[in-house]
Amino acid sequence: MSRAPRASGYFRTSYAQDLALVGTRLERTSLGVFILALLAFPFAASAFQLDLACQVFLACVGALSLMLLTGYAGQISLGHAGLMAAGAFTVGILFRETNAPFWITLPCAALVGALLGIIFGLPSLRLRGLYLAVSTLALHFVVIYLGGEYESRRGFSTGIVIDPPTLGGFAITDGRIWYFILLAAAATTLLLCVNLLRARSGRAWRAIRAHETVAEALGISIAGYKLLAFVISSAITAVAGALFAYYRGFVSVEAFSLFLTIQYLAMVIIGGMGSLLGALLGATFVTLFPYIIETGLLALPGAQRYASLLFAVNYAGFGFVMILFLIFEPLGLVGIWHRIQSYFLLWPFKHRSASGSR
Amino acid sequence: MQLIVNIIVLSAIYALLACGYVLIYRVSRVLNMAHGEIAMLGAYMLFTSASLFVGNPLTAIAVAVVMSLTIGVLVYVLLMRKMTGEMVLAAILTTIAIGILLRGLIVLIWSAAQQRPLEALGFSNPSIELIGGARISACAALMVIMTAVVYGGLFAFLRFGRWGVRMRAAGQNPLLAAQRGVNLNAIYALAWALSSLSGSIAGMLIALDSGLDQTMVVIGLKAFAPALVGGLDSLIGALLGSLIVAAAEVLAIHYIDPLLSDVVPFLVLIAMLIVRPWGLFGTREELDRV
Amino acid sequence: MTGTLLAIEKLEVVYKRSITAVQGITLAVEAGQIVALLGTNGAGKSTTLRAISGFLGLDDARVTEGTISFKGTHIENRPPHENTRRGIVLVPERDKVFPNLTVAENLIAPVPRGTSHVEHRRREALVYQFFPRLGELKTRIGGLLSGGERQMLALASAIVCRPELLLVDELSLGLAPVVVEDLLRRLIEIRRELGITILIVEQSATVALEIADYGYVMENGRIVLDGTAARLRSHPDIQEFYLGSKSGERRNYRDVKQYRRSRRWYG
Repeated sequence: MSRAPRASGYFRTSYAQDLALVGTRLERTSLGVFILALLAFPFAASAFQLDLACQVFLACVGALSLMLLTGYAGQISLGHAGLMAAGAFTVGILFRETNAPFWITLPCAALVGALLGIIFGLPSLRLRGLYLAVSTLALHFVVIYLGGEYESRRGFSTGIVIDPPTLGGFAITDGRIWYFILLAAAATTLLLCVNLLRARSGRAWRAIRAHETVAEALGISIAGYKLLAFVISSAITAVAGALFAYYRGFVSVEAFSLFLTIQYLAMVIIGGMGSLLGALLGATFVTLFPYIIETGLLALPGAQRYASLLFAVNYAGFGFVMILFLIFEPLGLVGIWHRIQSYFLLWPFKHRSASGSR
Repeated sequence: MQLIVNIIVLSAIYALLACGYVLIYRVSRVLNMAHGEIAMLGAYMLFTSASLFVGNPLTAIAVAVVMSLTIGVLVYVLLMRKMTGEMVLAAILTTIAIGILLRGLIVLIWSAAQQRPLEALGFSNPSIELIGGARISACAALMVIMTAVVYGGLFAFLRFGRWGVRMRAAGQNPLLAAQRGVNLNAIYALAWALSSLSGSIAGMLIALDSGLDQTMVVIGLKAFAPALVGGLDSLIGALLGSLIVAAAEVLAIHYIDPLLSDVVPFLVLIAMLIVRPWGLFGTREELDRV
Repeated sequence: MTGTLLAIEKLEVVYKRSITAVQGITLAVEAGQIVALLGTNGAGKSTTLRAISGFLGLDDARVTEGTISFKGTHIENRPPHENTRRGIVLVPERDKVFPNLTVAENLIAPVPRGTSHVEHRRREALVYQFFPRLGELKTRIGGLLSGGERQMLALASAIVCRPELLLVDELSLGLAPVVVEDLLRRLIEIRRELGITILIVEQSATVALEIADYGYVMENGRIVLDGTAARLRSHPDIQEFYLGSKSGERRNYRDVKQYRRSRRWYG
């Protein structure tokens, strides 16, 4: 995991300073400005941009949970879409069968996610690497099948329609309110992840990812922490799926294909493995990518011809960008960001000296 | 009786696809998640060459075969070669990305509409009557025959051919192989070419039998199960695994629920991963080396 | 064949940019010689072999200073297949055969440089002459061979590659003395018949000095002593620390202080 480069002269002289989330004054001010910008955004943005922002926040939640599982604890999971589907379907089923309000369905979704997390996580006790990935893939298909079965058995062949959540009799449909709700969700998830990583669990996960045998020799309960990673990550992912269901007002199996899992994996990779900032950057990039492609495509002359090909261009472009990052920039956007920072910090020098500094 | 025919046909499809996974895994320990897409690409190649060489079906087929070998080599040389030496996870993710890229390119070049290479080639696909009143289509029968041919060829090549021995050597101990003058890049390119060829044959035959569209990717994914059930580094395992998974799928569709067709392979896979993760004929050390 | 085949000047090899495993060694191997590189564990002998054959990159190591010249050309930090093509073949310490191939297949697998199919067959036949035991074991799976047989197979597969310089890492490790004797005799035969120059790395000085013409002793990444085999065999320090013969009286290891030893090496 790479540490952000810092200008010289920054020393931590107390435990409180070491534990603090935000260190230098520059960090504090820039964070403050950023938060203000986030809060002011809805009042200046169009409905379309608000929707984009909401999608980004939703993606952030899912990306953070996957980063926790794969980027930090090192457990490869291809079942992400299945877990999101589980959360969404929990909401859908509870709503259709019992008309439960959101403050029951959301915790239930988290619970379902946690339970599924145990199931998805059990193979990790015996398997590693690609075998683990394939087992999670298999479980994903099982979840999707169950969802499809429910849809066809109960006659929702095109999907389940959900009413927007209500608070005190007041239905939440306004884009701006959703913006703040999802912003709060993303922020809460971020804080949760940051704190999990700063605590013993985070250290245990990093140890397991780096060298499992040594971690075990150090007395870290491998099984326990692996399952913990799966449970927490799956619970968060299920909640993301539940929020997605409420935001769209619609639940259907087609939305949770393998491509969704791949998109989240791409967020983690393109953002940069082993970095929460990477999860956020990756989520933003991958969510906005199709719209960038669309804008670019429509700007070309003869745009109408290309409109039908949009989906395919999206697909191909997405694969292409993923390959570029995997081959040329394995550290992801965070790696690029750190390099830019280093460049400015070290200027006019080009490299850090080889000996002495670390 | 019809059930048995169905099982044999389905296991032929799975076997042809599964050996592609095994070939690449054996030499480089990479699971090629783009195999389904490469098989699909091969089928589209056949469709195009059939449309180009109208009236010359044999030429069209020959061209398509050469193209599918080339695809495998190109994918390795241009993309996967950069990932040798990197973590296996990164390599697998690269194959996933390649799969997505190929899928998008295919739709861009050929559109998502279903194509019928059978008509383009000018062949017909009559249904043949077998003993016991069961029926099999000509293309499906051809598929079974091709599976035998491909597997026979692969077994012979790996056991008796010089470069087959070198391929096995490179899979067991790449470092030593390099020390003994074996060009690892050439071996890997060869593995990818053979995998692409066998996958494309499967893709072409499926397309001839039932039309060509995007659903072939799903079959590619389902073919994971037989490959893993048999053991990812064993060709015999792939053959046996295909039989088992195909049997399970056909019987489940017939006796329980037709919707199960996409899930049954994965249920069999999960069962095998619980009981014996390295598969029926796989080597146990493979598990730890990942 | 005369002349210096391999010349190493002030070589420095660093692992992971932080650990210097080889700290400036100079040695030379004349064509047709058998040269031994002696030393205990961790002295840097295997690293030197790996530097010569070009396999440092895999362990995240680099030659940071000094040169390695083979027949006049610099070969430090070159990729391994280049060195194999030049005729430098390594018999590694571990993983020296293909475990799931038969003995015959183990000898088919290597790709000798610049030879035709026919040449390769001839070479195989030659190797079976040197190691008749392998001829009896043609269909045995490599991983099921005994230690001595495996070492034989490893040497054989190296020779099939037509090397000019054969690097052997820890020949005697884990083998019974009788077996080692046998292998040593064959190595001498190989040198005589095929004119291959051999550089062997050994922890067991007894073994190495039996067949070597010249030897270098490494310790902590440096060469502390070198000389002809005869001179090394009779050197008191070698006798005491490597060959195990003492001058008669009982010595307590506590008495042998570190500095006194090092004074003898460098003084």
